[in-house]
Amino acid sequence: MAVAHPLDKYLRTDRIPTMWCPGCGLGIVMGTLLRAVDRRIKEGSLKRENVGFAGGIGCTARMTLYPLFDSAHVIHGRAIPFALAVKIVKPEMKMIVVGGDGDLAAIGGNHILHAIRRNADLLVVMVNNMIYGMTGGQVAPTTPRGLYTTTTPYGNPEREMNMIKLTAALGANYVARGSITHPQLLEQYLYKALGKRGLAFVEVISTCPELFGRHIGFRSPVDLYMEIRKRIVIKAKPSIEESDYSWEKGFVIGEFVDRDEPGFTDTIYEYLNKIRGGGVQ
Amino acid sequence: MRVDYITGNTAIAEAAIVAGLKFYAGYPITPSSDIFEYLARELPKHGGHVIQFEDEIASINAVIGASWACAKAMTATSGPGFSLMLEAISLAVITETPLVIAYVMRTGPSTGVPTRAGQYDVLQATYGFHGGLVIPVLAASTPQEAYDLTVKAFNVSEMLRTPVVLLTDATIAHTYGKVIMRERGELEIIERIRPLTPPDKYKPYEPVKEHVPAMACFGDGYNVLVESLTHDERGYYAPRTDVQRKLMWRLYRKIVDSAPKLFDYSAIGLEGCDYAFISYGSTALSAQVAAKMLREKGYRVGTLKLRTLYPIYEDGIRKLVSSAKKVFVIENNVGLYYRELRAILRDKEVVSVPIIDLDLPQPQEIVEVVKQWL
Amino acid sequence: MEILIAGRGGQGILLLGHILGRAIAKHTNLYILGSEIYAAETRGGDSRVDLVVADREEDADFIKVMKADIAIFMHQLQLDAYKDLVRDGALVFIDKSNTTNIPQRNWKVYLEPYTDIAEKEIGNIRVANMVALGHLIKVTSIVPPEAVEDTIKEVVAREWVDVNIKAFRYYFSKS
Repeated sequence: MAVAHPLDKYLRTDRIPTMWCPGCGLGIVMGTLLRAVDRRIKEGSLKRENVGFAGGIGCTARMTLYPLFDSAHVIHGRAIPFALAVKIVKPEMKMIVVGGDGDLAAIGGNHILHAIRRNADLLVVMVNNMIYGMTGGQVAPTTPRGLYTTTTPYGNPEREMNMIKLTAALGANYVARGSITHPQLLEQYLYKALGKRGLAFVEVISTCPELFGRHIGFRSPVDLYMEIRKRIVIKAKPSIEESDYSWEKGFVIGEFVDRDEPGFTDTIYEYLNKIRGGGVQ
Repeated sequence: MRVDYITGNTAIAEAAIVAGLKFYAGYPITPSSDIFEYLARELPKHGGHVIQFEDEIASINAVIGASWACAKAMTATSGPGFSLMLEAISLAVITETPLVIAYVMRTGPSTGVPTRAGQYDVLQATYGFHGGLVIPVLAASTPQEAYDLTVKAFNVSEMLRTPVVLLTDATIAHTYGKVIMRERGELEIIERIRPLTPPDKYKPYEPVKEHVPAMACFGDGYNVLVESLTHDERGYYAPRTDVQRKLMWRLYRKIVDSAPKLFDYSAIGLEGCDYAFISYGSTALSAQVAAKMLREKGYRVGTLKLRTLYPIYEDGIRKLVSSAKKVFVIENNVGLYYRELRAILRDKEVVSVPIIDLDLPQPQEIVEVVKQWL
Repeated sequence: MEILIAGRGGQGILLLGHILGRAIAKHTNLYILGSEIYAAETRGGDSRVDLVVADREEDADFIKVMKADIAIFMHQLQLDAYKDLVRDGALVFIDKSNTTNIPQRNWKVYLEPYTDIAEKEIGNIRVANMVALGHLIKVTSIVPPEAVEDTIKEVVAREWVDVNIKAFRYYFSKS
């Protein structure tokens, strides 16, 4: 069989094309993520059968439908506890949680909070398109203030939620923000994140041309893409304070946190071994 | 075999370890918390994990994840916590995930009287989740039954790839009793069917035995798909009526057709009786004593204590109470399971005896209510 | 057979009931169910243990005493509150140290100063419960006394085992 694309070996090709709209940023995210996984597998630091995906509900969570790995498409907001349990039972697994800003920052907010507090060994990729896409363009906690959404028809009166600041504050081992407008950088962050123990959080600024772009006056996906690209500020070592964003100020991308505290799984197995070493079978 | 003097809650924890529990996730809630605390102390000694999550929602979703990593997994909770778990129970139903929930009922609604008993959630236990299917519900009335039924709950969950509810209440939770604990080797322990096909031929939702598919786990190299959407046998989303029909009927049949196999009860004096008491859980103790009091007065009263509440084995129940002219359904709520029994015992007079009591309904009170109908 | 044990919080009622229940469960062929009631207050409220004991499993069918065959009352308040739960002809053990008014019933009453014995003869007021338990076991022989002592060792914190066993043996050492 002729290989149409170098990533086909990692895809359920019988499910392509994806359900995503033309011009959606999610294809770039998935491609970038799979390239990062491919680099890890090729260099031998990750085994293919040990890679697992989990997502809740939303366009981003649907990313779990396509990779040819163990994969779970669960319920809205709850991919993190699912993935964490898999990791605890099978510590050799590398669990990747993919979710949108609604899935992870809103309904799943409590879980991400405590996963970071535990420094759970997960790679959490939060795609931030600043809107609820799948349900039709409602406001998200990440929607910039002032913008139109279908549930804030007079403009969004709420402050933007900055997940970089939250994850950094709670002690994640790795915190980065990338953008689909800069896929090479994003791939670097994801590659690095895949090698981390503890919790790695990568936010990806992305585009929803149908339900974000069009609603705020960008007629085509390219217009929205160019607009976002214009608002991206690349920094090598940005401070946490610089992660605050607004539509006017734009979005600083880069690596905000990179540390190496022990992960949750190592810690609980250390405890378990101590308990079992006590001579109790 | 060990013999001990333990509470209903401890019996559940002990039996879960014997059944092969390897992952417990929970959130503290009265009156279930001592199951959690007991396991936190004991399960690690058996190589299992016990983790307190941020809420009941995380707990049940973690239990589902652990089960997909092929660990036998459970949680325990009470009404408010079970209510929070309902969405994920629906996920476990459509993804056919084996797991056990020990549901220790307390007085409700809402916060109610957290330390006291009631049977208000008997319908919620199986009908609470969305999607209109049924999950097995087993009900214990003593610590011994709590032990035996916990093992059974794990077996049923593995055999049918389904969530199973083990129903008790605050009374049973903290009642002590002599428990004869049969151990591995003395008990039947059922494990889920694992795939025999190679990964490229494996379909995660293709039934291989009595509507039940084989289960591969995360890390097995089978590229499993856990899919909450309506899916075909491959686990692919398929929003089509034919796929939905096939999936719904299979998920329904695999539970309902198992009713005779799952049926568990104890009967006293039903043969040739004029009146039958049907009850379950802690109230069954009161009903049995009330029946004894009436027998001493010369009435021919038999008792049927149901240990399997769902799926309902209609023929089995009908046959057991066939000689009774009247059937009394005794429960500590407004008369809930009565509705189920009235529907299947259409040729008889079925009387609801709902007695709300923070502890056990008093046998004398049951006698007084029932006597008007004899 | 139904056994009722009642007193005020702080008198060790639950421990007494637990040791008796556990000894019966583990060291005899009898079946048993037991329930506990205790007031929210640590000290002073009602404390009560009900034990239902039977030869056959299906006869250990209730967790509350309907008519007690054996009772221990460690305080006047609970004696007054629960006296109607005790059947005619029952064996009733009453702590004389904490009661003044013994109801006129058709019981076989053992009126003994368990608390005074614990305080003065054993040297620790807190083991009055074990003095009473020893008396009950000596009179009724429900369980061999060795089985109760084994159970005390299982249940009681190590530093308190000796004094509890000493208290339990009080009536056995008296001829």
